[in-house]
Amino acid sequence: MLEINNIVKTFNAGTVNEKVALRGVSLHLKPGDFVTVIGGNGAGKSTLMNTVAGVYPVDKGSIRIDGADITALPEHKRAKFIGRVFQDPMMGTAASMQIEENLALAARRGKPRTLRPGITRTEREEYRQQLKILGLGLEDRLTAKVGLLSGGQRQALTLLMATLRKPKLLLLDEHTAALDPKTAAKVLEVTQRIVERDHLTTLMITHNMRDAIAYGNRLIMMYDGRIVVDAAGEEKKNLTVEQLLNLFNQASGSDEADDKLLLSK
Amino acid sequence: MTSFVNALPGAVTQGLIWGIMAIGLYLTYQVLELSDLTVDGSFCTGGAVCVMVMLAGGNVWVAMAAAILAGMLAGAVTGFFHTKCGIPAILAGILTQLGLWSVNLAIMDMSATQRLDVNQHSLLVSLRFLKEVAKGEKPFYMYPVLVVCLVTAVVIGILYWFFGTEKGSAIRATGANANMARAQGINTNVSKLLGLVISNGLVALSGALLCQYQGFAEINMGRGAIVIGLAAIIIGEVLFGRLFRNFGLKLMAVSLGSIVYYLVVQFVISVLNINTNYLKLFSALIVAVFLAVPHWRKNLRPRKASKEVPHAGN
Amino acid sequence: MRKWIALTLALLLGLSMTACGKDEGKFVVGICQQAVHPALDAATQGFQDALTEALGEDKVEFRLQNAAGDANTCATIVNTFVSDEVSLIMANGSAALQAAATATADIPVLGTSVTEYGTALKIENFDGLVGGNVSGTSDLAPLDKQAAMVKEWFPEAKTVGLLYCSAEPNSQYQVEVVSQELTALGYTTALYSFADTNDLAAVTEKCASESDVIYVPTDNAVANATGVIDGICRPAGVPIIAGESGICSGCGVAALSISYYDLGVATGKMAAKILTGEADISQMPIEYAANTSYVYNKEICDALGLTPPEGYTPIEK
Repeated sequence: MLEINNIVKTFNAGTVNEKVALRGVSLHLKPGDFVTVIGGNGAGKSTLMNTVAGVYPVDKGSIRIDGADITALPEHKRAKFIGRVFQDPMMGTAASMQIEENLALAARRGKPRTLRPGITRTEREEYRQQLKILGLGLEDRLTAKVGLLSGGQRQALTLLMATLRKPKLLLLDEHTAALDPKTAAKVLEVTQRIVERDHLTTLMITHNMRDAIAYGNRLIMMYDGRIVVDAAGEEKKNLTVEQLLNLFNQASGSDEADDKLLLSK
Repeated sequence: MTSFVNALPGAVTQGLIWGIMAIGLYLTYQVLELSDLTVDGSFCTGGAVCVMVMLAGGNVWVAMAAAILAGMLAGAVTGFFHTKCGIPAILAGILTQLGLWSVNLAIMDMSATQRLDVNQHSLLVSLRFLKEVAKGEKPFYMYPVLVVCLVTAVVIGILYWFFGTEKGSAIRATGANANMARAQGINTNVSKLLGLVISNGLVALSGALLCQYQGFAEINMGRGAIVIGLAAIIIGEVLFGRLFRNFGLKLMAVSLGSIVYYLVVQFVISVLNINTNYLKLFSALIVAVFLAVPHWRKNLRPRKASKEVPHAGN
Repeated sequence: MRKWIALTLALLLGLSMTACGKDEGKFVVGICQQAVHPALDAATQGFQDALTEALGEDKVEFRLQNAAGDANTCATIVNTFVSDEVSLIMANGSAALQAAATATADIPVLGTSVTEYGTALKIENFDGLVGGNVSGTSDLAPLDKQAAMVKEWFPEAKTVGLLYCSAEPNSQYQVEVVSQELTALGYTTALYSFADTNDLAAVTEKCASESDVIYVPTDNAVANATGVIDGICRPAGVPIIAGESGICSGCGVAALSISYYDLGVATGKMAAKILTGEADISQMPIEYAANTSYVYNKEICDALGLTPPEGYTPIEK
């Protein structure tokens, strides 16, 4: 479904601030794969995600979705294939617009925007049903401004928007990191439910090793712009936090606590 | 005071005409959150094109349509500079505005003013109609306040419809959160371009109405338009912001804000009888006061509210 | 909603119909001056003095409003005058005249400091009579005489550059006519226009390097920036013939001078005739300055080594 071939990305090339974020990353996802991504700060997780989403172009390598080469497509055109939820709850929704307006915008992802009404009555009913699934009571607040919602509610809404039209690939960029533990668990639970229901191919970055082990069928760990651990199937299922930490220390060639602290249990 | 009361219809008409410009500015400034300075130039473009088309024998509707198209073109140029050349919006607008000076002069046949004689052309609005309708020499439906009110209503109606469509929603989403818009497959560059085009089309329409109203187009007629527009938006927001939540009503608030601005100007001229040399200073002060009001409200309210309502925050 | 609009409209209509109380037997004259400028100020002063003298102090009340250079404000000002039903409007400046002529077809409108009424009011085949409710005075010093001055001062020169601001409504007309006159006198002419005072220096440099003599018309933008022009032309040794004495005192060698105060006085006398019913404004042709005088700038003439011909008086500074 997703084919990432040897992509390289350097920021501020040729300046003192030069930073190689991705040093030739390759990753192939089969349809229905739910891959969790862990790694310390600066490991290249978010850069990987953003190059797939098209936020910035890659220096080398190619990205294919469902066989189609999207390496040169701009961000808004890739949105046709990709649903995204961001770390910052503010980023995924338009605060000054209503819940139903946000959903209506998402429902038209990948379609040409015409002079037809931006939202129709039948759509509203559909959204009400979809919002019920979240179990947050948003189905009764269709016309409320999104800015009035809590961070958890906004993330759940963004998740719904990202999956409203079934994407070929769902990108979750630490989408629970900014939430309190209870809300985070709730959002993750909804995520799991939707991903399973729609058999979505998913790439989820997380800081939380337990979550990384508990969710999905494959786990990758990144360090310094490379994938250093790739565990799938039974191997992944049997991983423990302890093992992961050891793997991480091997990869980073140190057992310093600094990096460990970046990964929470 | 009688002088002020007598001058009211004229002040209201002027306010309504500039209000259409302010509505155009609202689309870029509030909806798209872009600072578009093209306005000072495209306002004059609208006036210049309207006058020249009419002088060439064109009918008033054709002239106004041509003016709107010319304004849209000016907006497209700014949009091109901004989205395709990567020039910051504020600078892109300044560049277009600067260039338009020469273009406007060329449109006006290299003359700094062009007269549009109400005796020779059948105009939609004119300063003269105010008296002529009041005296019964012209039918009531030519009353400038009424005519510009209708034009404004049509403009608001069309905008209300458009910003409810898929395309219009995409523009609003672009202004509200460009990241989210792109993630939802919206080409934010197209949205910005379209917003600038529509906005400057309205600004030019306003210029076309003003040149008919005062009977001439002048190369500097758009100078300071952006300040009047911002004043109208801010006054509208401060006075009616809490009442008007709906998009259409918000546009109406802008138009009302513009009327209030011109009433204040007329008040300064007629009642306070202040030396009109200080008019610009007064304009600046009016805008400053209305800009400050929301700030004061924000800074004063929490302290009071915290005593009355324990859970005032969100 | 509709009701609300209708109500407001009715209110406004009603208000506009209530005439304001005026002192019987006292004429109210509205003066709309386009900008702050010594020449326009002088014309306004002359107008007020002449009209007060003709009618008596207790017979006339002036309402003076200045648009401070913003043409759009002229519409606001004349709207006030028209809604107050003043007896006469004096429009000092082109935009003021255009706004006033638009605002009313009944109240007499007298213009002044307007150079060419045919251009300003878009009248084809203008013959000196505007007709209707509009007349006034023109600040145009005879352009043929100005062209002749170039010949008188610089018979040997070949090229004359005409320097003006393209944003000034009156300048275009003046340079075109003077250019024709000069061509008829055997000179080669070229027009140099600048958009605003920011381009002025560059355009003046070009003009000075390509011309033997420069002519500048009655032009507000030039009047405000004579220092810049003098700073370029005097070192280059290029003399300037100016359209009015103000500009001449700043950067020119000679000018055909008219007095704006006298122009205002002439306008005031016209106003008196109209108000007393002695004359019908629709029959009154545009009047021009009665007295013109030839003046020269002694300082610049000395610097350039020029001796003024007979009949020129130095400008007093």
